[in-house]
Amino acid sequence: MLLQATDVAFSYHRHAIRRGVPVPLVLRGISVVVPHGSVVGLLGPNGSGKTTLLKVLSGTLAPTAGTILLDGTPLGSYSRRALARRLAVVPQDTHTAFDYTVLDMVLMGRYAWLGPFELEGPDDRDAALAALEATGTSHLASRLFPTLSGGEKQRVVIASALAQLDIRNGLRAGSSETRRPLLFLDEPTASLDLRYQLECATLLERLHEQHDVTMVLSTHDLRLVQAICDSVVLLREGRVLAAGPTAEVLSPAAVSALYDVDTPLVEQLLA
Amino acid sequence: MMLLRRRRTIVIAGLASTLVAVVLAPFAGSTSIAVARVFDPSVPFADNLDAQIFFLARLPRALAAAVVGGTLAAAGVVFQGLLQNPLTTPYTLGVSAGASLGAMCAITFGAWLPFGTVTAASLAGAGLAVFIVYALARARHRGISTTVLLLAGVTLNAFFSALILFVQYVSDFAQTFRAIRWLMGDLDVAGYATLGAAAPLLLVAFAVFAWIARPLDLLTLGADAAASRGVDVTTVQRAAFFSASLATGAAVSIAGPIGFVGIIVPHLVRLVVGADHRIVLPAATCLGATFLVLCDTIARTVLAPLELPVGIITAVIGGPFFLWLLLRAR
Amino acid sequence: MIARRQLLALILAAAAACGRPAPSEPAAPAEARVISLVPAATEMLFAIGAGADMVAVSSFDRYPPEVERLPRVGALIDPDFERILSLRPTLVVVYASQDELIARLGAASVPVYQYVHAAEGALAHIPRTMRELGQLLGREAAAEEAAGAIEGAIERIRQQVAGRERVRTAVVFGREAGALRGIWVAGGVGFLHEALEAAGGGNVFADIRREGLQASTELMLARAPDVIIEIRTSGGVDASPLEAWGRLAAIPATRTGRIYELTDPLFSIPGPRIVEIVRTFARVLHGDEVVAAAGP
Repeated sequence: MLLQATDVAFSYHRHAIRRGVPVPLVLRGISVVVPHGSVVGLLGPNGSGKTTLLKVLSGTLAPTAGTILLDGTPLGSYSRRALARRLAVVPQDTHTAFDYTVLDMVLMGRYAWLGPFELEGPDDRDAALAALEATGTSHLASRLFPTLSGGEKQRVVIASALAQLDIRNGLRAGSSETRRPLLFLDEPTASLDLRYQLECATLLERLHEQHDVTMVLSTHDLRLVQAICDSVVLLREGRVLAAGPTAEVLSPAAVSALYDVDTPLVEQLLA
Repeated sequence: MMLLRRRRTIVIAGLASTLVAVVLAPFAGSTSIAVARVFDPSVPFADNLDAQIFFLARLPRALAAAVVGGTLAAAGVVFQGLLQNPLTTPYTLGVSAGASLGAMCAITFGAWLPFGTVTAASLAGAGLAVFIVYALARARHRGISTTVLLLAGVTLNAFFSALILFVQYVSDFAQTFRAIRWLMGDLDVAGYATLGAAAPLLLVAFAVFAWIARPLDLLTLGADAAASRGVDVTTVQRAAFFSASLATGAAVSIAGPIGFVGIIVPHLVRLVVGADHRIVLPAATCLGATFLVLCDTIARTVLAPLELPVGIITAVIGGPFFLWLLLRAR
Repeated sequence: MIARRQLLALILAAAAACGRPAPSEPAAPAEARVISLVPAATEMLFAIGAGADMVAVSSFDRYPPEVERLPRVGALIDPDFERILSLRPTLVVVYASQDELIARLGAASVPVYQYVHAAEGALAHIPRTMRELGQLLGREAAAEEAAGAIEGAIERIRQQVAGRERVRTAVVFGREAGALRGIWVAGGVGFLHEALEAAGGGNVFADIRREGLQASTELMLARAPDVIIEIRTSGGVDASPLEAWGRLAAIPATRTGRIYELTDPLFSIPGPRIVEIVRTFARVLHGDEVVAAAGP
């Protein structure tokens, strides 16, 4: 098992917890398994805790209770740098205060591989170019990131995450298990128009198949889930409503219960 | 990725321009000196007026301008990166207000303060401001909240400004005049002792700047995004805040709160070399140093034998430039 | 600058005319109730024998010692109008620049004397102001005596030093303690400059037509004064001014040690005690015998 979360709870009120004050929990009793080579979808209404769960699973936030194991080792025992070499996060949207070029952005993914005062070398450049290639953004390399369209930005941020995970290793035959990359995506298609949504789905599918990237993604996009997710976790009010193989869990009944909508409507969507 | 050769060219050009400015500036001044006599070893230094003007008045002053200009520009870059806001100045978080309050107190109540000089008092004031802002920014957050930092800084600026007004209110005319003149900036350090005293602090600050240059790039993507790329966000924020604050405090205690260097120089540099902090920081340091040496040379020659406060020169150049940046940013 | 000064003089004359009691009502000194917001004018009022008429002074007044028993009613930037009015003054001495206060006192029909701080001709301005105040208060004789004494004393010192070489001097009235930074010196106008020249000194900054200026290290070196007179009326006190100045060995004053520290607040007030200022300068520059020869 690549990633295994058991009975995880989370609250943003850390200080209150230390004082023993009862606090509202954003996540409660969550258990998720992510086998390597899988694509796991997190589904749930707005405010159900999807983004928080992604942050907890990716080690950005520390859980209030429960354990999360990456390759059998608690997430908290990895250093930031070591963790960054194993897993990468693509947030919902990315803004920069300054005008970085696309290549600059992708090279930032190499941070975890460099020493404190080290500049990127040819190897890092290779990794970045490979990531640009894999996301079909090579032609944008010298553009300024803020001037890109939403879809282009999304792909560049994914490229940055791939440079961070070093997908070239994933390509190598017989690569050790601990080098298998794990990618978290928070609503990757949310702000994209139809064309970019399709492109994004295609890209993710290709990354999964060609580069052996394990993914956990949150989304509202049922079609995306149907298309690329092996398993889904249905989240509602911070709890797991249902979890399992996509085909089994993603029934019209379950989805209509999840979102409080009429079943026939969901049937049409899932058709 | 910027080619290594281009990085090297930029840094060498920057260092060269700073060096040329510092070496040439002492040849200009309000008095005419005989250059041949300045470097004449047969005249004892104690009797050599030209040499004393060159080595005791002008050269330390040019060095001070370079040190202060470079420090303010670099601190500006770091603060802008830390707060993820390109309009931040080294004075946004209240460091200079604290330093000014310290200086005002020393000028007004000098006889009763335990530490003698205005420089020491302003450094102490800067330290106090840094401590208060940091304590506030920490109190309600894991790590440092940049929003709270910004609000605390702005509030502290206003509060210290009020205290400065109060101190000026209770001081007499002559003191008020001196205090106002101090606020306009003055690089006439009259020797190397002040610079020597500030050097260790500034060396530490610049070492930290070099270490956090790359993490600052990642921080501009947001704290969570930086963390997920392997940055220890809290440590970097803390290092950036303290190093830039202390460097600013040292610069202000040497020369007063000289404005605009810390904002126009980083912007100009980014226009030319891009956003990568590992090249922006050294380039801004060099350009800031060169810029302030030039401004101070103008300040001490244009109205000779009177001197224009250097802060007025930087403001006259910097103000319109800053407005242009604001309009351009839209 | 000149135009402004002339204008101020006109305003002063007009104000003096306005403030003067009408001829039909001869002033009775016993009824006078005087408030002064100007420390220099306060000293002048005491000098012309009007001390007993004083009912309030400014918050900066320290001399003569009698002012300590008088109420304080603010100063240049913070005059307490209600307080002033409640003391029922028959004359208020204000700064000519206190427009708003002057207008309000005018509206309340309170006579006002507008004190002008004169940069040029500062020494002559002091006895002239005293005579004007004397006229306003019906103390012409006493004012004439006091003013004449000042003029006479200064003139005698002038005569004593007339034949002597002028000593190139810098009058420093502000400096950071323990450092050679923020050095403020007297320029070529103002009472300190004129007092220095009257005492047989040559101000090394005489060519700079300002009362005060900040002198850079370079300027101090270039002007190379033979004597430095440091006036310290407030702020940090140096353990050893000689040690601080010693860093600039090219200045003759630092080599010969002719650096004098004067700490009395009187050196900041262009009042009747200007005679003491001139005498002290003369003593520093030319020795006790010059002052002794000049008489009281």
